[in-house]
Amino acid sequence: MKVLLSWIREFVDVPESPEDIGKLLSVRGLALEGLEPHGDDVVMDFDVTANRPDCLSMIGIAREIATAYNRPLRSEGDGFSHRHTAATAKAVALRTSTDGLPITIEAPDLCPRYAGAVADVTVGPSPQWLQDRLTACGIRSISNVVDITNYVLLELGQPMHAFDLAKLGGGAIVVRRAKPGESIKTLDGKLRSLSPGMLVIADAARAQAIGGVMGGADSEVTAATTRIVFEAAYFNPSSVRATSKALGLKTDASTRFERGMDLTAPARAMARACALLEQIGAGKATGTIVDVFPQPPTPRPVGLERASISGLLGMEVPDAGVERILRSLGFDVKSASAKATAGHAGWSITAPAWRVDIKRPVDLIEEVGRHHGFEHLPSTFPGVQQAPAASDPRIVRDRRVRTALLGMGFSEAITFAFIEATAAEPFLAGLDPIALANPLSEKFAVMRPSLLPGLIDAVSHNRRHGRRDVQLLEIGTRFSPRGETRGAAFAWTGLATADHWSGARREVDFFDLKGVIEQLAAVSLVAVTFADADQAYLVKGRSAKIAVGGTTVGVFGLLDGAVAARRDLPPGDAVYIAEINLDALTAAASLETLRAAPLPRYPWVVRDISILVDDTLSAGAVRGTIRSAAPGFLIDVREFDRYQGKGIPDGKVSLSFRLTFQSFERTLTDEEVQAGMQHIIDALTRDLQAMQR
Amino acid sequence: MTIDPSIGPDKARELFRAELADVRTDAELQALRTRWVGRKGSWVSAFMEALATATPEQKKAFGRGANELKKEVEAAIAEREAALAATRRPADAVDITLPGRPPRLGHRHPLSLIRDEVGAIFTRLGYQVLEGPEIEDDYHNFEALNMPEEHPARDMQDTFYLQTPLMPAAHAATAEAIALRTPALRPPQPLTLLRTHTSAMQIRHMEMNAPPVRLVAIGPVYRKDALDLTHTPMFHQVEGLVVGKGVTLADLKGTLAAMAEALFGPGTGVRFRPSFFPYTEPSAEVDIQCIKCKGAGCAMCKRTGWIEILGSGMVHPAVFEAVGYDPNEVTGFAFGMGVERVALLKWGVEDIRLFYENDLRFLEQFGL
Ligand SMILES: [Zn+2]
Repeated sequence: MKVLLSWIREFVDVPESPEDIGKLLSVRGLALEGLEPHGDDVVMDFDVTANRPDCLSMIGIAREIATAYNRPLRSEGDGFSHRHTAATAKAVALRTSTDGLPITIEAPDLCPRYAGAVADVTVGPSPQWLQDRLTACGIRSISNVVDITNYVLLELGQPMHAFDLAKLGGGAIVVRRAKPGESIKTLDGKLRSLSPGMLVIADAARAQAIGGVMGGADSEVTAATTRIVFEAAYFNPSSVRATSKALGLKTDASTRFERGMDLTAPARAMARACALLEQIGAGKATGTIVDVFPQPPTPRPVGLERASISGLLGMEVPDAGVERILRSLGFDVKSASAKATAGHAGWSITAPAWRVDIKRPVDLIEEVGRHHGFEHLPSTFPGVQQAPAASDPRIVRDRRVRTALLGMGFSEAITFAFIEATAAEPFLAGLDPIALANPLSEKFAVMRPSLLPGLIDAVSHNRRHGRRDVQLLEIGTRFSPRGETRGAAFAWTGLATADHWSGARREVDFFDLKGVIEQLAAVSLVAVTFADADQAYLVKGRSAKIAVGGTTVGVFGLLDGAVAARRDLPPGDAVYIAEINLDALTAAASLETLRAAPLPRYPWVVRDISILVDDTLSAGAVRGTIRSAAPGFLIDVREFDRYQGKGIPDGKVSLSFRLTFQSFERTLTDEEVQAGMQHIIDALTRDLQAMQR
Repeated sequence: MTIDPSIGPDKARELFRAELADVRTDAELQALRTRWVGRKGSWVSAFMEALATATPEQKKAFGRGANELKKEVEAAIAEREAALAATRRPADAVDITLPGRPPRLGHRHPLSLIRDEVGAIFTRLGYQVLEGPEIEDDYHNFEALNMPEEHPARDMQDTFYLQTPLMPAAHAATAEAIALRTPALRPPQPLTLLRTHTSAMQIRHMEMNAPPVRLVAIGPVYRKDALDLTHTPMFHQVEGLVVGKGVTLADLKGTLAAMAEALFGPGTGVRFRPSFFPYTEPSAEVDIQCIKCKGAGCAMCKRTGWIEILGSGMVHPAVFEAVGYDPNEVTGFAFGMGVERVALLKWGVEDIRLFYENDLRFLEQFGL
């Protein structure tokens, strides 16, 4: 809200500089957004919060300033403007009646009050001072009559409208809901079709204004106008809001009405407008102001207990301060008897009609607190009544996975949770995407079903910005129609080990990634198994799915070239990716408590064995045969060599295993180890047609 | 200088000491040895030769001096030889100035660092740290937070909506559990939107737990803001909530002051400015003393000396009523802070979009 300092000073004596006023008001609830010189005046721009429509006016801001500085606010009527005397203002007697202009309110739920006044006018330009004030506050001067409505809007906050009476068919005003199929050409020249819920101000025949939103072009005041009707009314906030939204039409009037206006203001505004009309020589009201207000509401007092003020704020405000602040803001303050407030001394407070935000005692406590000054709040701490509850277990779990991956060289990425529909497509796993109804753009159209698309884009970004080796991880939420799951994904492209002056370079491969997963399983205390994956976005034969106890918890492997190309990765890049469903991993992990095993007290025995088998046979199958044939004291099997080529027949592969035997009960004898080895060799020969080398 | 015994042993000793002081290497020491105590043509041999042909008076004059010179030279050279040997690198020494072979080590994302830091601060203050769903229903995101349909404050947080409302099994189960606990509240609603704030988590927690409450909820939130220097459509928020008997606005101030000092350094002051949020009353925006100018006024704080970091207030009674708490029995405070904003301020990052580009040149500036 832009206010003019000179205008404010008509209501309250504040000789303080605009900077000082801004500083103080900023800690009283009205943040100063801008300060601009305007001739020898100053325009102050205050940020008015949505709950304070009363501050969208000079008088509203002036009232806050008066309270902040503890100065009297000049009441409306005596100090309006140094440019006209109190005598002129009073010359327009506030005679209201229901005679004269026929006004009918057919929709009192949407318009509980409507005031109209007829005036003879000579339309022309406004005096310079009036034009200046409007311009300073960001409103274009149009003509004396229209300028007056805007002047009153700025000064008192009450939106007004002026109709050309000659254009109102039947010379009557009907406040009603729009009829089916009804339309209106508004002041901005646009033809708008109205829906039946919308409120219109009509003449005997048709709509002439959209109530609280915008006037109609047909009854617009023009240079030829000689007789007008001023309108000052109260329109239902949610109705104005719905209409403004439906029509996509936001005006100075609609923004005020939709937040809630002062039900008592129309009469004051009308008197002010009529006085101004005479004062600037633009015309004169004829007859009476017709004010239709069938059911003025009874103000409801709110009880305020003294103890509740310090109880909520944690600072003491003296009674005199409480009363001073509330009275200065226009509240009616009565001391309540002890009985009325259940044994607590306090007050019965009635809010002025413009304070539509005051409903409960806490609303009053806020008023007292902010004007007493939050700077007086002491710094204390809330007491603890019981031991704090445990944090979300996912936090610790995610941290463990993150730390392990960081330790293995992956840097942490955070990507947007919404991605392009085409980027999500390969990762949907047969489920529908979670699409946004109103995405920011096509790039952010669907919620990610997987962390991988975002991570692939992050790898692509780094590759396109000159980075050869990229290792990234992300831990975050994935979305599907089945709900949200937490995942960990990582991607690796480039060298397997850091480039160094001493050594050979090697590109990352499948087994680097598999090793990372094995390490993650180890720190998560779960045993994982691997099987061929069948994912369109991974290269077949270079990818695997990860399972814990029969449940698939993730996949990894080489990113498919076509998917990579679609995400602008340089051609030929080998990008290895992995994703683990952390929730599934947690669920599949053994719930048994970890028990530490004692260290073995007896020596171990190591035996190596090399065999020739068909090269289609997996190492896993060989290992399985060894394990099932081995005695109970075989504690480890490790592949240490795999060889094909010179000396090995076609279609065969040489595999070497290192077997470790150890008993926890005794020292093993050579004979029992030898017997165990023989048993293994027999099984390999019999079941896998292996040949010992 | 050329060897000339006529300068006498005292002068020669001074000369030797000066030359010894310049010796740096084994080779130089060998040369010095030859020059001073070599069998032939050295200073000591020259003195000895001179002594052989000297008169008894001359012998008496510097014979003793010449012998002492010899002793000192030999001792000093031996000492220096030992010292040089002690610093000599063995033949198989490596060039320690070559670059090391660092094990690969990743870097933390700055937002993740702040999340953890804030989590740690509040864990220390006795809070539980929670995370909640990111897709929400209208009730938890708005209605229960005193923002009924048509509330103007809904405009303050432009919301992303789902094309198709969802009712996943887990959500239905939670909704049922809530209905069992507090049957009067409301029927389960489908998920329709991306949460605009972590405040939705406040409601979910209070629905299922009786007071007292002491929690921070951390996670991503979504608002329909176009990308620019200071906005991203997804960002991260830390939500704090304390509910109990006698919790006050002053308690909130003390708590936030402690957080500001922990995050931005000792002595960082906080300031409360009255504001408006539908779910708190009174409401306050909280500023910290400008971390750049320490309150003196600079470009970063628009010459005010203060920088806004979060919104907060006392939990609105309507929110308590929505979760079945009695506002006459308990009071509470809540605050919501942008993680990105803290990171921008703390590290002087000038473009918020850097947090979502994941450029390693940016990420690698942060530690672990
Ligand atoms: Zn500063």
